[in-house]
Amino acid sequence: MLLREVEYARPSSVDDALRLLGEHDGARALAGGQTLVNVMKARAASPDILVDLNGLDELKGIELGPDGTLEIGAMTTYTEIVESAEARARPILGEVCAQIADVQVRNRGTIGGNVCSNDPTNHLPPLLVAFGAAMTIRGSGGERSVPAEEFFLGVYMTAAGPGELLTKLTIPAGKGDGFASLPIGRDGTCIVNVAASLDGGAPRVVVGCVDAVPVLVRPESAEDDAVRGAVRAAGLQPPDDVHAPAEYRRHLAEVLAVRAVRAAKERAS
Amino acid sequence: MTPETARTIAVDVNGVSYEREVEARKLLIHFLRDDLDLTGSHVGCDTGNCGACSVLVDGVLLKSCMLLAVQADGTSIRTVEGLGSDGELDALQQAFADHHALQCGYCTPGMLMSASWLLERNPRPSEEEIRRAIQGNICRCTGYVNIVRAVQAASGQEVSE
Amino acid sequence: MTETTVTPERPLVVEETETKPGFVGQNVPRKEDKRLVQGQGVFFDDVKRHGMGYVHFVRSPYGHAKIRSIDVARALEVGGVYGTLTGDEVAILTDPFFELSTPPGAHIKDYALAVGKVRHVGEPVAAVVASSRELARDASELVEVEYEPLPALVDGEAALAEGAPILHEEAGSNVVWSGLFDWGDFEAARAEADHVVKIERLHFDRFSSTPLECSGCLVEYNRGTGQWTMYCNHQMPGVGAIWMAPALRVGIDKLRFVTQDIGGAFGNKICLHPQFVACCLLARKLNRPIQWTEWRTDQHTANAHGNERTFLDVEVPVKADGTMLGFSVRAVDDCGAFPRYEPLGCIIWAQVTPGCYRWRNIRVDFTQVVTNKSPVSPNRGYSRMQHLWLTERIVDIVARELGLDPVEVRKRNYVRTEEMPYETPNGCIYDSGNYARCLDIALELIDYDQLEERRRDAEARGKLLGFGIGSTLDSGTNNFGQSTLLNPELQFSGNNEVATVKLDIFGEIVVTLGTVPQGQGHETTAAQVVADILGCTPDDVNVRPGHDTYWNSHAGLSGTYASQFAVTGLGAVKGATEKLAAEMRKLASLVLGCSEDDIELAEGQARMKANPEAALPFMALGAILNANNAGLPTDLDITLNARYMYRPPFELPDKERKYGNLTLTYATQIHACLIEVDPETGGYEIVDYAAVDDCGKRIHPQIVEGQVHGATAQALGAATHEIFAYDEDGNLLTPNFYDYHVPHALDMPPIKNGYIESESPFTPLGAKGMGEGGGAGIHAVCAALQDALGKTVTRSCNPYHRVWELLRSEDRGVTVQAR
Repeated sequence: MLLREVEYARPSSVDDALRLLGEHDGARALAGGQTLVNVMKARAASPDILVDLNGLDELKGIELGPDGTLEIGAMTTYTEIVESAEARARPILGEVCAQIADVQVRNRGTIGGNVCSNDPTNHLPPLLVAFGAAMTIRGSGGERSVPAEEFFLGVYMTAAGPGELLTKLTIPAGKGDGFASLPIGRDGTCIVNVAASLDGGAPRVVVGCVDAVPVLVRPESAEDDAVRGAVRAAGLQPPDDVHAPAEYRRHLAEVLAVRAVRAAKERAS
Repeated sequence: MTPETARTIAVDVNGVSYEREVEARKLLIHFLRDDLDLTGSHVGCDTGNCGACSVLVDGVLLKSCMLLAVQADGTSIRTVEGLGSDGELDALQQAFADHHALQCGYCTPGMLMSASWLLERNPRPSEEEIRRAIQGNICRCTGYVNIVRAVQAASGQEVSE
Repeated sequence: MTETTVTPERPLVVEETETKPGFVGQNVPRKEDKRLVQGQGVFFDDVKRHGMGYVHFVRSPYGHAKIRSIDVARALEVGGVYGTLTGDEVAILTDPFFELSTPPGAHIKDYALAVGKVRHVGEPVAAVVASSRELARDASELVEVEYEPLPALVDGEAALAEGAPILHEEAGSNVVWSGLFDWGDFEAARAEADHVVKIERLHFDRFSSTPLECSGCLVEYNRGTGQWTMYCNHQMPGVGAIWMAPALRVGIDKLRFVTQDIGGAFGNKICLHPQFVACCLLARKLNRPIQWTEWRTDQHTANAHGNERTFLDVEVPVKADGTMLGFSVRAVDDCGAFPRYEPLGCIIWAQVTPGCYRWRNIRVDFTQVVTNKSPVSPNRGYSRMQHLWLTERIVDIVARELGLDPVEVRKRNYVRTEEMPYETPNGCIYDSGNYARCLDIALELIDYDQLEERRRDAEARGKLLGFGIGSTLDSGTNNFGQSTLLNPELQFSGNNEVATVKLDIFGEIVVTLGTVPQGQGHETTAAQVVADILGCTPDDVNVRPGHDTYWNSHAGLSGTYASQFAVTGLGAVKGATEKLAAEMRKLASLVLGCSEDDIELAEGQARMKANPEAALPFMALGAILNANNAGLPTDLDITLNARYMYRPPFELPDKERKYGNLTLTYATQIHACLIEVDPETGGYEIVDYAAVDDCGKRIHPQIVEGQVHGATAQALGAATHEIFAYDEDGNLLTPNFYDYHVPHALDMPPIKNGYIESESPFTPLGAKGMGEGGGAGIHAVCAALQDALGKTVTRSCNPYHRVWELLRSEDRGVTVQAR
């Protein structure tokens, strides 16, 4: 519950933040802190330097483009997304954010932190992959865009590498979305979650909590059997833990995938 | 811009200004309890799940065990000690007492902060909204039944059976 | 109602005994609340002392290992580190804590820190003290401990197997205690039965009430007097001192426990003596105050779990009409690495041997074993809850196997109200109760007549509906003579509690309690009782908050535990107040020149009944004796400071037959629940819940209701997600609130409450203790799941994956033998 000694910096520009992150190997970005501070309390990881992003207004805000595209700053909190009129252009986003933990966590936790920590039980990585979102990463070499399905590399590892920052997420227009999960208690940690999106042609079904990264499957159609078959064919190897044996997670993945797609069909129509 | 292991911070807590040097690693909850002797906010867990440390920072309800004290520099903080005035209970505190919404009292400060935050934004919340507002506050004594009733009463609404 | 009461909403059904005038029975405002809602409570971690050193314990990462060496040199080099303590020092400076059990358990050596070996993950191995919490934590990482891992034992039955690793070499066995309990004539019952239902295995899972405030202390040592003062949250200091004093080789009076506010305990703050002794040694060694606060992770891994019990080879003889004649079972109780208080759990279930039922032939073969898990402590419901779960599982499984209706089979077999007081097969006396009436009310509250309609409605939505009943008892006010059934050498019997009530010089009434409240409202209920006897208001009565063993009078068994305050604590308050009242009347009669019988105490005065104008306010009485007493008769023997020890009427039980009354009161909880299961996922929701409770005369109805709500929430947590599960190396998989999911506000179903008051004929106020509940929610949820799934439920905790496994597996483990 007590952190190791750490150095702290609160840059006032993204460039300053990137410089700090680039100059020091043991530097780590501090977003909402709802994951990182706990990790540091447990001493599971102890960065040498915390670069606090909370003063960077550049990284905040939600913009809705004329074509329905949403641009969300990485430091936007879950509460801000839930309460945003713009974000309602893609309603499932706010609905899923509203299921995360509790008010206190939602007031500080950020969409950027959620995806960059990439805890396998997080809600947003599968959702963003289902959307086909684009992640904008800035580093010393400039800015680049990585599709969500290539962004997640491993547990706590993403394409935003050392010395880089995820600055914004771009979500295309759409509304044929579904999300199904089985959490431990209301708004608790997910045992399995599945996000589905039917916009843009073939269904995208993304299973969370079963692997180090969200697993994208593309069923041939949105029919229950096709969805089940696609998930089965993915040959998932989920972990065994105190909340679920592997076989149970595999089973839940199929059931929840079907439900997420059904929910998406309802919204699409 | 040099990273520092400690810095001097200025905070306003319940209307009183403080200036202290703190280590960067010190959590806000420990700063409040140990450095400022404001022991009303409590520690109940080590993973940010229990909410006993909940406070308002610039009007935002958050868990002070997941914020570094240095991050609170320049902010205005409200804790349970800042509810009510001159030893008089505010309506919410009185409602908690009237409806037996506390037994051991350990979760109570956090509950009061969450309920205060709710009522400031939503003066007549439904039962579901009340439960959502205190979802981040664990209580092991009351089963939450009377806490919900107290918030309903404080908001001038009928109390559920 | 007077102005000093509040009138919140009432539960749906209340059948009260006749309401007498007075404060007892009213919802007076709680005295504790004003300070607590302002954050002005004083919990031990709020207390600071100049120069105090913070303790961090180095704890074992292994479930079972020898300690080869400990080196603290590097930790001591860190600036700001004040000192350390290791097991070697502890073994020299202290004697092992005394063991309650007979051999083999009697031979276990239990010290404040691990000596020579570690026996569970999280066991404290060394202590580091530093000027800040952070420094102590940092320095603890520099303590080098060399371990030689040993195979870990994480299953109670495996502990009994040939070749199992032995945890305590001095005991030579993993058995702590074993005994056979045999009442009535089980063989005859089996012969008489039309069916014998056999259940292979039932398992009550390990969990705990996990109070929000962790354990801890701030210890000061006075070198001149050799006395330790511990600001702490120990809930049973009498017993704490009995363990600590001999270990520290000092007299009991050298240990002063000071508590004020405690953030819940639920039995988890009874066995704190090992860490407290370590802190005492450090306070003496380092000559400075020593502060220790347990981390949440430590509380889950290394403090106090509830009983984990396996029930094997259950046999239940039943008549064709559904009358159950008894049962036979072999029980294996897993008490974790050190028994401590736990051997009493081998006996304490016998307070409720037949549960709510009239069966007369019961045989229990009980063995307690150690394993490499956290030690067990008397968690809420202590040992009786596990046994009552067994009886409820038996009733529901038998009903299912024989096609009997679970409501009818209960009514047929419940102890009947006209049989009360009822003597159980082992001589316990159920004082009062009306189980059938409680069940009827529960069924009414949950709209039982609409069950089938609700089932169809759920089916239409693709869900399975299940209905379940949990009938249970909360036995309170223990006869510690039960300990002689465990170990005939133990010198404990009966029970006691102490209170003092005095009239101070300005007429203030001041009460001190022997109890250690953790939220049960003792300050308030004590004031109600005093006010009624002295004829004043609760606001006139000042009850000292908390407990201080130097200020508060107390006795060997004092504390707050085991659902007894309304009987023992308030019994003591009543007795002391009656003594004080008699003295006040005597003094007043002398001053007013009449006989004592002419005096009444009312409206804050002692006055003549015949002439109320002739009155002395309390202040006058207090002043006369304390400061203005010239002229009083020399033979007037009063002090206006009364101490009273309440002793419940108990005899020593018969050790041979294990027979006798073990508890004074039996509160009833009959709960019912409705569950909807999602058959595709195994997820389920409790959609309706009714709780009917009967604890005799309710001193403060709101407080009683609060206890019922809290007990229900804890039971529902234990039934659904709260489980202390281990991997094969002895690592606890749920060491914090992230993984160990307790109910939050949105998880709670609507609870419909009902109450009846069957007064106890045995207690001073007709009240019964009731704080623990008996885990009724666990029994009801298991029953409802069994009903929904059509499969036998054999575990107390049923998280979603277990429900899913039940859905897709063959039902086995139960057989029925017909005559």
